[in-house]
Amino acid sequence: MSDELVQIETPFTFNEKNQREFDELIERYPIKEAAMLPTLHIAQRQAGYITPAVMKYVAEQLEVTVMKVKDVVTFYPMFFEEPVGEYVIRVCHTLPCALRDCKVVLDHLKAKLETDIASETNLAKGTTADGKFTLMKVECLASCDVAPVIMINDDLYKNLTPEKVDEILETLAG
Amino acid sequence: MVEEKRILYEHLDVPDINTFDVFRQYDGYKRFEKAIAEYQPDDIAKMVMDSGLKGRGGAGFSTGLKWSFVPRDIKPCYLCCNADESEPGTFSNRYVLEKNPHLLIEGILICCYAMGIETTYVYIRGEFTLGKRMLDAAIKEAYEKGYLGKDVRGTGLNIDIYTHPGAGAYICGEETGLIESLEGKRGQPRNKPPFPAVEGVFMKPTVVQNVETLCNLPFIVGNGVEWYTKMGPTYADTRNDPPTPDPNTGTKLYCISGDVNEPGVYELELGLTCSELIEVAGGLRGEEVKAVIPGGSSAPILTHYELDTRLDFTSLTLAKSMLGSGGIIVMNETRNIVDCLLNIMKFYAHESCGQCTPCRWGTPWVRDIVQRIADGGGRPDTITRPKFGVTESGRWGDTGETEEIYEDLDLLESVANNIANVDTMTWNTICVFGIAVSWPAVSYMRKFRPEFEAAIREGKLVTLPVAEATVPPEENYAYQQRFIPKEFADL
Repeated sequence: MSDELVQIETPFTFNEKNQREFDELIERYPIKEAAMLPTLHIAQRQAGYITPAVMKYVAEQLEVTVMKVKDVVTFYPMFFEEPVGEYVIRVCHTLPCALRDCKVVLDHLKAKLETDIASETNLAKGTTADGKFTLMKVECLASCDVAPVIMINDDLYKNLTPEKVDEILETLAG
Repeated sequence: MVEEKRILYEHLDVPDINTFDVFRQYDGYKRFEKAIAEYQPDDIAKMVMDSGLKGRGGAGFSTGLKWSFVPRDIKPCYLCCNADESEPGTFSNRYVLEKNPHLLIEGILICCYAMGIETTYVYIRGEFTLGKRMLDAAIKEAYEKGYLGKDVRGTGLNIDIYTHPGAGAYICGEETGLIESLEGKRGQPRNKPPFPAVEGVFMKPTVVQNVETLCNLPFIVGNGVEWYTKMGPTYADTRNDPPTPDPNTGTKLYCISGDVNEPGVYELELGLTCSELIEVAGGLRGEEVKAVIPGGSSAPILTHYELDTRLDFTSLTLAKSMLGSGGIIVMNETRNIVDCLLNIMKFYAHESCGQCTPCRWGTPWVRDIVQRIADGGGRPDTITRPKFGVTESGRWGDTGETEEIYEDLDLLESVANNIANVDTMTWNTICVFGIAVSWPAVSYMRKFRPEFEAAIREGKLVTLPVAEATVPPEENYAYQQRFIPKEFADL
């Protein structure tokens, strides 16, 4: 506990490419605060997840309080406050996917990755021991015609069966 | 057999239609050029009003009317394009963004010209990474070709389009939630009035339109109002004297999923029936239709008695359901309605933004009741309550009779109705999320009550045959058309 309290985090700054992207972004809005979501997306891409240092940096950039950034980060499910695996596997489990047996896909992934499903407050629970994958359930991914679907990082995988899942995991494991 | 009528989706599968040059070959941007060459901004607004175009995002509000609320003397005015497609069962906007983004840009240009708007934000849900990439590329191309930026095509118009990613919150699809989110805050909807048309993003007048609505604009301008109004039925609203036309014009991108053989997006004229649509989508996968959700998961369910309901804004409203965003989910005889409701309630319990107490606490409560019933722990005690229905005077009220109901079912109805009352259509929350929760909860329970009762009685999920599971219309007040005058109901 005391370790945590005295731990000083490495400060966060955008790298050169992201700084350029941010500078372009900020021009789009009449108030800086409006760039919050895209800025947090950029920051998360760079840092992997939103650390207190990231929040502090974003708050400074957008000229708002850190609390305000925290307020936003906790509201949106796409922002992580804990480390996640290299590949984040989002399994849709809303009705159209449920009607097309998404549970089979989910159970297969669980067994294959030997991990539980992450909850929003406990991402570590769904992350594999080697830190490669994080398994989580999400609400509708708007691809109900090709259900069941999963999303791995930015890519959507359609019409899944356990065999297809095996193939995908093999490719990713490389 | 109903034929598909592809207008918005006509060139969707043309290779490289996402590039400017190919899009240009298929009349791309010519409708916008026609608009600026032949019409004044007010003419366009009038055309949209005359076309009877209704917002495709969910509420089905007249687009022309919405535009007319925007004060013309307050500048700047903003356009927010709602591409936060999160309603379970809806996936038509995704294909527009991924395959034909220039069509959306052209729609935006026409709207901007008509309303004197210089800045547009396209709010894309965070999960649409490919869609955002494609749209960003198309916007870049349009800037290079001089269709965006300063002095568009030498007309003196300045139009900018920016994409803005969401971050996975369903409630940001609600227009004021979207505006809050766009301003960099939690996506918690605002109290209305003031409506966004008067005071929206950055406290300025704002037009919020769905992707599909904007994509309709090039065709209205390009082919004319007369051509457009020929598609889809126009009803007469006899509540007014003289009767006013109630247009359901144009096509709709029906997204059909669940138990059909060929799920997908089908573009059809408004006004076909539910069973026709199932046929278009390759027929039912299974023996019998048990239930159909007609407009995304928040719409009240339709039973096999209601399959001849026409899928347009007016007819579905009269059937006490809604077309919503056009996400149709079909369930066959093997499905358990309690289980389906549980799935949907989990969704809403997860997505409630937490702003209003009835919704924040009520939604998980409804979920827990359904979970309890599904787990076999439904309370077997019954209570006697007054039976409501159509009284002798022909009005809704206490019939003087009583009915026996399981305690948990009464509780389910009561909690849901206290978030938003489906009978009086009043809600105790700021936004319509409340009604989106209680609509499915109450309609599933009332229309498929035998299945809920069986689950409580047997202590486990029991899937009854379709005929047994469904309450016939004449016996159930879920069907009563309480606030709709008779003439209007007999269209």
